Amino acid sequence: MNKKGITIIEVLVSISLVSIIVLLLLNVILSLNKINNDDSYASQDEIDRSEIIKLIEDDFLALKLNGLTIEENKITFNYLDSTKKLIIFKDKIVYDNKEYPLESPKATYDSCFSYHYTQIDDNYYLITIDIPVLIDNVNTTKIDDLSLSYLALKNEFNNYPSNYTCSK
Amino acid sequence: MKKGFALMETIIVITFISVSLLLLYSTFIGMINSSKQNRLFDNVSNIYKTYYLKEYLNLQGLTNYTTNSIKELTCNDFNFASCSTLTKKLNVSHMYLVKYGKFNYDEKLYSNNFNDYLHLLSTSDDYQYRLIIEFLEGEEYSYASLALGGSHE
Repeated sequence: MNKKGITIIEVLVSISLVSIIVLLLLNVILSLNKINNDDSYASQDEIDRSEIIKLIEDDFLALKLNGLTIEENKITFNYLDSTKKLIIFKDKIVYDNKEYPLESPKATYDSCFSYHYTQIDDNYYLITIDIPVLIDNVNTTKIDDLSLSYLALKNEFNNYPSNYTCSK
Repeated sequence: MKKGFALMETIIVITFISVSLLLLYSTFIGMINSSKQNRLFDNVSNIYKTYYLKEYLNLQGLTNYTTNSIKELTCNDFNFASCSTLTKKLNVSHMYLVKYGKFNYDEKLYSNNFNDYLHLLSTSDDYQYRLIIEFLEGEEYSYASLALGGSHE
């Protein structure tokens, strides 16, 4: 006898198999969409953030950071043979006259950054600077903050403020 | 005259569609995992912190330590008074000296994030160890590492 057509059981099994896989894919696509549109942190600025941190940290090491001065929204880094300024605006950072605007929606820089100078044993010091990135004026996570650090040997020419308190 | 589908044809078509969809699924799952890795693993800020820690710990005797798998380093292993201040200021949660390359270890002793990070690290170069630093900022753990003791140093 020729077998013609398809039984309902076969149709049901086929549909259920494909449905399971489509549901898995839907879950993945929804996760991808959530990641792509994640505005809980400055996700669209990760590359620029990495570039700025690398630029400044490489300058610390290559040009030999020797001191810094802090004004309201500006840090002037004094290197052995040069000076470079980091200026913080709500929507961008300017370092060495190059601008790095924020792309992420609702993200702004907080010009009220933190700065710490810490003595490490007798001969070394550690500088840490953290410039927060706010989402809707709230610092939701430190992952997107501009965090800089520098550990070096002290010398007689070093000139760093011992502390800094934001006046806002 | 043949009408409709035979069972075999139906199974073949369903198998083909299922395999294609599963391949797509596995590709996208990789992309989702890599977005987490970009944020928490080898964050550029943490790499520089690891560099400074490595340079300072080298002065304090880091090169004296050896391991065949993973050794957790604490301030008790180093003889300098500012160790806890330094690690606190850099938001260091744990420090590990890890053998370079593949080795067996008990994954249950470490967090899932640490295990994921360790599995991602390259093993192709000629180094002896790695210094892996676990940072804790807020409630998120992040990781960075630098290789130690190779022909490049």
